[in-house]
Amino acid sequence: MSVELFSGALIALLCGLDRTAAFQVMISRPLVAGPLVAWVLGEPLIGLQLGMLVELLWLARLPVGAAIPPDDTQVAIAGTVLAVSLGRVLETSAIELQLLCLLVALPFGKFGQFFDRFARQYNIRLVHQAEAALLEGQLRKAEWQHLRGLLTFALAAVGTYAVIIGGGLLVVPVLWPLIEKSLVHSVSWLQLALPLVGVAVILGTINVSRALTLFCASFGMAFLLMWLV
Amino acid sequence: MAVTRITRIHVWLRLMLLQASWNFERLQGLGFFFAILPALKKIYAGKDLPQAAQKHLSYFNTHPYLTPSVVGAVIKLEEEQAAGLEAEFPINDFKEMVAAPYAAIGDALFWGGLRPLAAGVALFFAAKGILWAPLIFLLFYNLAPTWFRLAGYVRGYRQGIHSVEFMQRHRLPDWAIHTKEAAVVVLAGLSAFLVFQHLQQHQLPSWLGLFTLLPMILLGLFARKGISTLLLTLLTAIVILVTSLFWTDLAGWLETYKGY
Amino acid sequence: MSIVLTRIDNRLIHGQVLESWVPYVHANCIVVANDSVAEAPLKKMMMEASVPSRMRVEIDRIERIIELFTSSSLDGMKVLLLFASTADALRAHQAGLHYRHLNLGNLHAGAGKTRLSCTIFLDPEDLSDLEELEDAGVDITARCIPADAERPWRKLIPKGRGA
Repeated sequence: MSVELFSGALIALLCGLDRTAAFQVMISRPLVAGPLVAWVLGEPLIGLQLGMLVELLWLARLPVGAAIPPDDTQVAIAGTVLAVSLGRVLETSAIELQLLCLLVALPFGKFGQFFDRFARQYNIRLVHQAEAALLEGQLRKAEWQHLRGLLTFALAAVGTYAVIIGGGLLVVPVLWPLIEKSLVHSVSWLQLALPLVGVAVILGTINVSRALTLFCASFGMAFLLMWLV
Repeated sequence: MAVTRITRIHVWLRLMLLQASWNFERLQGLGFFFAILPALKKIYAGKDLPQAAQKHLSYFNTHPYLTPSVVGAVIKLEEEQAAGLEAEFPINDFKEMVAAPYAAIGDALFWGGLRPLAAGVALFFAAKGILWAPLIFLLFYNLAPTWFRLAGYVRGYRQGIHSVEFMQRHRLPDWAIHTKEAAVVVLAGLSAFLVFQHLQQHQLPSWLGLFTLLPMILLGLFARKGISTLLLTLLTAIVILVTSLFWTDLAGWLETYKGY
Repeated sequence: MSIVLTRIDNRLIHGQVLESWVPYVHANCIVVANDSVAEAPLKKMMMEASVPSRMRVEIDRIERIIELFTSSSLDGMKVLLLFASTADALRAHQAGLHYRHLNLGNLHAGAGKTRLSCTIFLDPEDLSDLEELEDAGVDITARCIPADAERPWRKLIPKGRGA
């Protein structure tokens, strides 16, 4: 299990940096991060299924200016790691368990905002240190302060990951026997509902006039096509 | 002294780490300084350098994909200034002038438009269980940002202050709206696809699918009112879990309607 | 005309305003009351270019904006009003532009400024401006984007500060 948790942490760090600090090529999106970590753990399909469910949920929360969205990256990664490793411990490949891991991971995504805010607060001192170094004419030291920020963001990412994993390991094994039966019937509905909630939230907050008309018409159209063809 | 091509590439590569020290006081300020420093080293020497660099430590923030355009233009302006050409515009004023508009354009175009569009397209493949879906997302999404990062930087350096005309001429905010409209259509198609697929798997009548619009619109309205996504998700999950307890009754009822 | 949001944001029109607030308050017109932008044509043009063409944008000196509000040209519009500083907001209110609520968005850090929240930094003058506005009956709250919680500004002032 520790191997899984550790390799998960490495991916959490890599994808977590992509969120704000470096590159921003969107390997931090759940749809990418989930399958990536699952592929490393040898079960890519689980990551794809879970990443798909989280991808749309918080997509409407834009990282505009100083606003910090919930950490869907770490929810997808930690949820997947939990699903894979607990599945191996409990010796089951039930999709019900995987979904439960994700549902438990979701609320912990809020902690990501907390860690992220802390990192951005902490980084203020790097600016002042860089300024002081510059006054002394030490350019190299000033540059270095900027790169130290990578460490802060990395810690925030791994911190979030650790909290979700910790919470999940405590909660999931307790909930699992209680909820297993009920999940059997509802699992496919939950799989359908999560992306739809995400779409609904995007629809409610997107900056497009008549988004609802456009949506209903396209939905109806696509549905009729699939139905009739 | 002119900034060589190698140095310009160096600056561009550093821009990939632009937000490494993002903070609430200067936002991208320190990152801007970090990125442009190699160029400043070429332009200024000795005592002037720390002073010139100091200026670029100030408050700055714009969309990370459009910062290269700003940095490119600023390098040009710094060169001109060092060569003793009369400045059309103080460099700091230029940075301040473009920061917020570029941020507005980038946020609308990339975060608000392109990201949901690319996610919507890739999710079709993911829903089919195709493992390449993440790669499709990455390729589809990154085309435009990479172009803006590269071409924006080159154009910024070539045209200096006049590079802003590109943004004005092409009405990018309107393009953002079009992208968002496309995203809404794609997401609608995706929703329809997911619902249809689900109903078929459960051998339920297709017309039921049209009823999904109702809860979705309701959820959308709640979201618009500012209710958090997490709460909406957990409520939906609870409703489904509770309903599933009565599933056998519901299934029996639906059974009688099958075939209509 | 109705004012759907009055906000102090030193960045004026940017992503948070256009992507989060505009759809939330259903605004179809953005009014920027700022002297320095109004006097810099290129700056003004850039700012106008960052707004989709289906929205109306008015950028002008504070005095001219007040005239605009008293004329009938904004009739039927849902207006999102932006100031860059507390001083501007106070000046406009004193000159007769009566808004009832004031949202504090971004007021960036500077020398002598105290931090109220992640994005709001105020100096003693800002504090007294806001107090004056509050005495005039304006309800002042801090909220960066609609997804954040709305908090009365007084709750944010660190103890031992303020008048």
